[in-house]
Amino acid sequence: MRQAGTDMKFSSIKTMPKNVVRDTVKSIERNNLMSAASVLSVIAALIILGIFLILTINVQEVTKDVESKLELKIFLQSDFTDTQKTAIEQALEKSALVENVTFESAEEALEKFTVSLEDYAPLLSGYNSENNPMPASFVVRVTDPEDMDEVQNLAMSFSGQGVEYVRYGQEYVEALVSFNKFTNTLSLVVLVVLSMISIFIIYNTIKLTVFARRREIGIMKYVGATNAYIRAPFILEGTLLGLVGAIVAFLIIRITYYYILGLVGGNLFLPVDATLAAPDAVMGQLIFFFLLYGGFIGAVGSVFAIRKFLDV
Amino acid sequence: MIEFKNVSKGYDKNKSDALKNVSLFIDKGEFVFLVGRSGAGKSTFIKLLLREIEATEGTVYINNFNVSKLSKKEIPFLRRKMGIVFQDFRLLENKSVYENVAYAMEIIGKSERQIQKRVPLALDMVGLSHRMNHYPHELSGGEQQRVVIARAIINNPSILICDEPTGNLDPETSYEIISILEEINRRGTTILVVTHDREIVDTMKKRVLTLEDGVLKVDDATGRYGYEV
Repeated sequence: MRQAGTDMKFSSIKTMPKNVVRDTVKSIERNNLMSAASVLSVIAALIILGIFLILTINVQEVTKDVESKLELKIFLQSDFTDTQKTAIEQALEKSALVENVTFESAEEALEKFTVSLEDYAPLLSGYNSENNPMPASFVVRVTDPEDMDEVQNLAMSFSGQGVEYVRYGQEYVEALVSFNKFTNTLSLVVLVVLSMISIFIIYNTIKLTVFARRREIGIMKYVGATNAYIRAPFILEGTLLGLVGAIVAFLIIRITYYYILGLVGGNLFLPVDATLAAPDAVMGQLIFFFLLYGGFIGAVGSVFAIRKFLDV
Repeated sequence: MIEFKNVSKGYDKNKSDALKNVSLFIDKGEFVFLVGRSGAGKSTFIKLLLREIEATEGTVYINNFNVSKLSKKEIPFLRRKMGIVFQDFRLLENKSVYENVAYAMEIIGKSERQIQKRVPLALDMVGLSHRMNHYPHELSGGEQQRVVIARAIINNPSILICDEPTGNLDPETSYEIISILEEINRRGTTILVVTHDREIVDTMKKRVLTLEDGVLKVDDATGRYGYEV
């Protein structure tokens, strides 16, 4: 009996696909309304998920971008001496954490400020080297943004000895990092909730199919069909619904993302200089995730739907 | 070959009352009737053979194989050794006669060539070649039952189990069905017929097993209906 068993198992796998595909297509046709509802639910879930995913990817991207561009500004006292300036400069250049140091004199600072305010330049016209309100400063680029704090401490050790105060975009970085965490958590919650809803809808669709074919399933069992053979068309059907939903959702998201990208032209209206994540990279990640997700929830919903009917 | 060794079955936890200590042996190639009133344990008997349920006590052997030792995954392969004929036919309404029979071969993975070769032979055997492309609702009860028999024997089972095969048929048609079963039996298939049909049992003069309240009351080789109606 065992001998014959393995033999048949082998040959049944060979000829299975044709029958399975035929039954699956028939079943989707017969159940077109519920099938459409399943696909729509997957589309809706994935579009919402997609928005969160793109948001997350972009926030991560922006955070990285901002961190790499981060500068530390050490403002000097208005009455610093050359000795103090050299001491600070040497200390900074010696530090392994510092990538490079540029000195910006008070005159240069005023000039820059005037240029950046071009339309209001007349407002600053009363200032000259005699009454320059701008402090001189060192602009420091660090090797690793994580070391910002330490470099700041190093600079502050010269406090009162030429250094007035130190600033870097601390607030921005912290805000971004916490926003990053927030979007990650939110995406996860949305993922779980929407997955459950989609699985439930697919589960119900497949259950209808299973119910419509319960006689057939009973006969199959008595004639000696294996559970895998009986299960296959239903799982295929669920997976197919999930995949179709995934592809449609991806197309909608892709079109929309490029459209929005065209509108804002990469400008994020953030107080820091950052660009949107490269669309091609995002889309690559997205389609991969969507197909995996669509197929997975389709299969899971089907497996649950057919479990009860297999016990004969 | 079917063997029951002290088999009891209870659906309640502490009672074994559906079948009580049944022992019997049906040899390869035998033709056996199983009779008894409703609730005597006939359905339980068949369900045990198909491993739909497991015996509470005792052992069921089919072709020298201990059925209760089968894992869930092996059950389908046990069922491929048996053909089953139901009282209510259980044909697929949306498939033609040919497709219904072919279906049983598709399920266990036979090739298209084998199917095309064997289905007409099986339909010829039950005398339905001319109805090949009809659908079940276009057939009479007797014809439907013949399709079911063709489906049951298409995979060459060693045992054919018939659960009230003539229960929905008139006497004349019933005899046609039984003579088809006899012909199948002549080719070496063990046949077990569960029936209420006293007349058929008495004229066939085959071995009769009689169940009464879960007990095997009579095992008569000469073919007498074992209880008075």
